[in-house]
Amino acid sequence: MEISATYLLQLTLNGLMLGLIYALIAVGLALIFGVLEVINFAHGEFLMLGGYAMALSLPLFGLSYWPALAVAVVVTSLVGVVLYEFFLRHIGQKEFERSILTTLGISMILLYGMQYIFTATPMMVDTAYGFDGIEIGSIRITVTRLIAGGLSVVAFSGLYLLLKFTQFGRAMRAIAQNREAAMMVGIKPRHVARNAVALASALCGLAGAALAPIQLLHPAMGQAIIFKAFALVVIGGLGNMTGAVVVALALGMIESWIGGFFSIVWQESAIFTIMIVAVLLRPDGIFQRGSMRVG
Amino acid sequence: MTQPRWTPFAVAAAVIALFCLPLLTSSNYFIGIAISGLIFLAAAASLNLVYGYAGLLSFAQLGFWGVGGYCSAIAVMDFGRSFWEGVLFAGLVNLVLGTVIGIVITRTTRHAFVVVTLTFALLASLIARDWVDVTRGPLGIPGLPAPQLMGFAFDSSPRFYYIALVFTLAALGFLYCLMTSRIGLVLKAIKQNDPLIESQGISPGPYKLAAFVIAAVITGMAGGIFAFHLKIIDPSFLDFYYMQTFLIIVIIGGAGSFWAVVLAGAAMVVLPEALRFSNELRMVIYGVVLVAVMMLMPSGISGWLENRRIASLRKALR
Repeated sequence: MEISATYLLQLTLNGLMLGLIYALIAVGLALIFGVLEVINFAHGEFLMLGGYAMALSLPLFGLSYWPALAVAVVVTSLVGVVLYEFFLRHIGQKEFERSILTTLGISMILLYGMQYIFTATPMMVDTAYGFDGIEIGSIRITVTRLIAGGLSVVAFSGLYLLLKFTQFGRAMRAIAQNREAAMMVGIKPRHVARNAVALASALCGLAGAALAPIQLLHPAMGQAIIFKAFALVVIGGLGNMTGAVVVALALGMIESWIGGFFSIVWQESAIFTIMIVAVLLRPDGIFQRGSMRVG
Repeated sequence: MTQPRWTPFAVAAAVIALFCLPLLTSSNYFIGIAISGLIFLAAAASLNLVYGYAGLLSFAQLGFWGVGGYCSAIAVMDFGRSFWEGVLFAGLVNLVLGTVIGIVITRTTRHAFVVVTLTFALLASLIARDWVDVTRGPLGIPGLPAPQLMGFAFDSSPRFYYIALVFTLAALGFLYCLMTSRIGLVLKAIKQNDPLIESQGISPGPYKLAAFVIAAVITGMAGGIFAFHLKIIDPSFLDFYYMQTFLIIVIIGGAGSFWAVVLAGAAMVVLPEALRFSNELRMVIYGVVLVAVMMLMPSGISGWLENRRIASLRKALR
C-alpha cells in the first residue's frame, strides 16, 4: 500500500482527537481513584448522560451548541454529587470491592434505565454547525470534531491550573498524597472528595456532550469506552493523572494508526493486549502510583 | 456461618423436588427457566469460591464462561466430537487458561486484579466477534445438535433439564466438599486476614490460584452446557449481562456463604422470569437490588442474619 503523507497526517489527527476524548474520561477516573480509592464503574454512564443531556437540550436552545454543552456539563456534575453524597460517602477506604459493586449497580440502573426510556436505537444529534467542515491543506475536519478537540485541550489546561494554583486543587492533591496529614491540617476529606467526584463527572459529561454530534448516541456508548478507560488508567498507573493523559493520547494515536493499516480486529484488541503486557512488566503501571500530580 | 440442623433434610427434599420437576409441569417455558437457573447457579457458586472465599473479585468468570461455550460448540461442530467430549474439552481449555492467567494475576494488587480480569473478559468477547475463521464472527455458530448418550437423545427441554441438574448437583457437591475442607478454611482465613495466614507459615498464593482455576473450570463447563441449551452461540454469549447475573446472585446471598448463595440463585433467576418484566426493567431492578444490598447489608442477607444472631446472643448475655 502506498503511504501518503496526507493519509498519515489524517490518521494522526483522528487519533489525537480520539486520544483527547479518552483522556477526558481517564483523567476523571484517575482523579476519583486518587482521592477516594474507588474505581468508578458508573463513569461510562456519565459519558452517556452527558451525551443525552446535550441531545435533549439542543432543541430547547434552537440547536445552538454552547448552551446545550453547558447544560450537559452541569447535569453530569450534579449526578456526580448525588453519586457521592448518597453512595460513595458511606463506603470506607478499605472497602474496595464494595465500592466497585455499588458503582456497578448504579451503572446498571443508569444504562438499562436509559435503554428502557429511550430504547437501544442509536440517535443522531444535529447541531447548528451541522456537518460543516474546515479544509486545512488536503485534510478535511468537521467543525464539531475540531471543537471537541479544542474543548478537551481547554479542559486540561483548566484542570491543570485548578489543581496547581487554587486552594480547591491543592486540597485535592493533599488528600491524594497523604490523607492523614491533610486531615491534620484541617482539610475536610468529605468536601474534597465531593468536589473531586463532581469535577470528574463534569469532565466526563463534557466528553460525552462533545462526542454526541460526532458519533451516534446510544445508551451503551459508555460501556464501550469505559472499559478502555480502565485499561488506560491501569497502564498509566492507578490514580496517576498525568500517566492517564499521556497513555490516553498515545493509545488514541496507536489505535488510529493500527486501524489505518491493519484490519479492525487489531484496532480493538490493541489496547487490551498492550495493557496485559504493561501489567506483566510493571504491575504498578508505567508511571508510578502515589502522589497525584498534574504537570 | 452455622447451619440449621435441618439443612440435610432440606437439601434432600430440594433434590427430590428438582428431579421430579419435569413430571410436575409440562410447560417447556418453565423447564427452560429451570435449566438456565441451574446452570447460572453452578457458575455463581464458583464465583462464590473465588470472591466469597478467596476474596478475589474476578470478572474473568465471564471470559471463562464464553471460552467454555465456544470450545464445546467448536469441538462438536468442527471436530465432530460428542457433546460430552465438548464439555470436557471446555473444562480442559479453561484449566490451562485459568492456570496461565491465574499465575500472573494472583500476584497483582486487588485493584489491578479487578481491572485485569475485566480486560480478559472483554478480550474474550472481542475475539469471539472478530476471529471470524474460528468463531464465525457475529453470526455465531447456530444449530448445535442435541446431546446423545448411547443412542438416547436429550432432544427436549425436560430431557436436557437432567443434564443441567446432574451437572449442577455435581458441581455444587464438589464445591461444598471443597469449601468445608481444610482448603476452604484456609481460603476463608486468607480473605479475613492475609498477613496472619502468612505468619502461620501458609503461602496464600497457591490457594488463591487453586480457587481461581477450579472456578474457571466449573464456569467453563457450565458455559459449555448452556450453549447447547441455547442451541446457538454468538458473541452475545459474552454479554456483560451474564457476569452481572452471577455477581448479583453471590452478593445477595452473601459472599462466602454456601447455602445462602444457592438460595439466592434460585430466587434471583426464578422471580424476575415469573414476574415477566421486560429485559431492561429486570436489569434496572437487579441494579437497584445490588446497590441496596451493598449500602444496607454489605455482607449479603446471610451476613446480615448472622450479625443479627450474634447481636441477640450478646444481648442475652448482658
